[in-house]
Amino acid sequence: MATTTIPKSIPVPKKRAQGLTVMVRTIINARTPLAMGCFYGALIALLSAAIYPAMSQVNVGAYLSSSFVSGLVGAHLTNFSAFPTILGLELYSSFDSLLFGGILAWIGAAALPLTIENGTIDLALSRPISRTRYYLESWLAVLICGAIIGLVIVFAVWIDTLIVKNADINWQWLWITQLVQWAFMFFAAGLGLFFGSFFNASRAAGGAAVGIIALGYLIQTFGTLSDKFSWLLKIGPFYYAPATDPLINHQLTWWYPWVLVVVGLVLGVVGLVVFNKRDLPSV
Amino acid sequence: MITQEPVIVIDKLEKSYGKIQAVRGISMSVERSEIFGFLGPNGAGKTTTIRCMLDVIRPSAGTIRVLGMNAQRDKLAMHQHIGYLPGDVRLPGTMTGKQVIDYFSRLQGLEPVLLNDLIARFDVEIKRPMKSYSKGMRQKIGIVLAFMCDPEVLILDEPSSGLDPLLQKVFNEFLLEEQARGKTIFMSSHIMSEVEKVCHRVAVIRKGELVTVEEVEALREKAGQRVTVEFGDAVTEEELARIPGVNMVRKSNSSFHFNVRGSMDPLIKALSQHEVARLQAEEAPLEEVFLKFYEEPEKATATKQ
Repeated sequence: MATTTIPKSIPVPKKRAQGLTVMVRTIINARTPLAMGCFYGALIALLSAAIYPAMSQVNVGAYLSSSFVSGLVGAHLTNFSAFPTILGLELYSSFDSLLFGGILAWIGAAALPLTIENGTIDLALSRPISRTRYYLESWLAVLICGAIIGLVIVFAVWIDTLIVKNADINWQWLWITQLVQWAFMFFAAGLGLFFGSFFNASRAAGGAAVGIIALGYLIQTFGTLSDKFSWLLKIGPFYYAPATDPLINHQLTWWYPWVLVVVGLVLGVVGLVVFNKRDLPSV
Repeated sequence: MITQEPVIVIDKLEKSYGKIQAVRGISMSVERSEIFGFLGPNGAGKTTTIRCMLDVIRPSAGTIRVLGMNAQRDKLAMHQHIGYLPGDVRLPGTMTGKQVIDYFSRLQGLEPVLLNDLIARFDVEIKRPMKSYSKGMRQKIGIVLAFMCDPEVLILDEPSSGLDPLLQKVFNEFLLEEQARGKTIFMSSHIMSEVEKVCHRVAVIRKGELVTVEEVEALREKAGQRVTVEFGDAVTEEELARIPGVNMVRKSNSSFHFNVRGSMDPLIKALSQHEVARLQAEEAPLEEVFLKFYEEPEKATATKQ
């Protein structure tokens, strides 16, 4: 055992920029689901290019234009032999919103409880950092994870255009489509943070948030089955993220994504209030 | 920072979890450059009090001030001057010690000026991931995290748990050095022998209530001396029990064992009347006094029943 003593004259500690330390750590903590989101996004985009030659030869019009499938993908499809249609079907359908939104909801919900589980939140909040900042940095990290997944998807689509001849992608509308998907991710992040603000266990919080996203997907599919249930569509989040429409049909009701952004924001802010008021459990 | 009032002031602190009252109106203060022991058995409310001080949990009533700052209202300013060691140091398994130190130093917003000294003194390993650390090694990292930015006030929750006796000795020496440098240290423990080596005063908490705040010297006086005498002639227990200051007289084989509080003079004078074959006196362990603070109210209740 060393027997050094603390020197008599110790310099006053120099100030050090706090930076976005919590945000960076939250992204590192979320690396597994983030990597999953990027992997699935790239994989689905590249598979779309791979299966396009075969899909363009298959007559699936009657199947894909049914109301049930419309419910599953979130849009009425036309021109089934065009690459944007295949891409919209595979990469920007309601199922993809479920997948990527679910991943974002999980990351958001786990962000805070994970630091309760690993014991860092007590030590972090005993430093000069407010709960509000801690929460907002965590939220920002979740949004950055969503941005990364979206950018990987767009990059994979660009690779698709190198593989598929006459891909006929309208890049302006592709970015608009991606913005719609990001709006859904924003909603999912807010939902996740909301659950994470009062749960102590990351898996429980993640499960609850993903459960709500999955419930929204069920509402979407049931709502499209019959006109009797069409009201169900409007209470679910998927109705406001018709990501396939702008890519394929070049049309979008502009305020729909804003509904998701506003709801995500409200959920996130409510989560912030809850997180600021609650007692944090000891590990 | 110059403040007139004590460094830590806890005033009528209460904390309830539903119907359970974890802390019941405790008040105490800690002076500058004091090492203050906060004693109590498991579940007494020590950690709850400490977590209220850090605003990780919110008091139901009462106030806490550290360095003149309100622990809730001025917490960001207050936390700039505080080093905290939790009772159970748990850190992310994938982070290395170095990453953990860098992370918390950044959050503190200060360079870790004492880092190299602490690493050398406590022989801390910082290159391995935390998941490979034993409890003792994690505790050492926790100590480094609390002290590395040279804070004015240290709040330590059972700091020596997990440390081997050699390291405990090093840690106690370190605490005394820090005290000499003007640091104020508030440390909780459930082991009296642990705090009596370094603390000037101790508070004892039991079931959320403050039982006493006393100087360690006063407690020592209360504990008195433990005496063993072997006589060469006939002496009765009653005769010994009548000597002023003598209590808890017990006979085993040919020896008498008892405690003496206050001056030894009446005992010595009484013993001089007899033939003393063997005499042994030592300080009674403070643990006995400490345990009495818990036992007495329960015994009283049992007697009433």
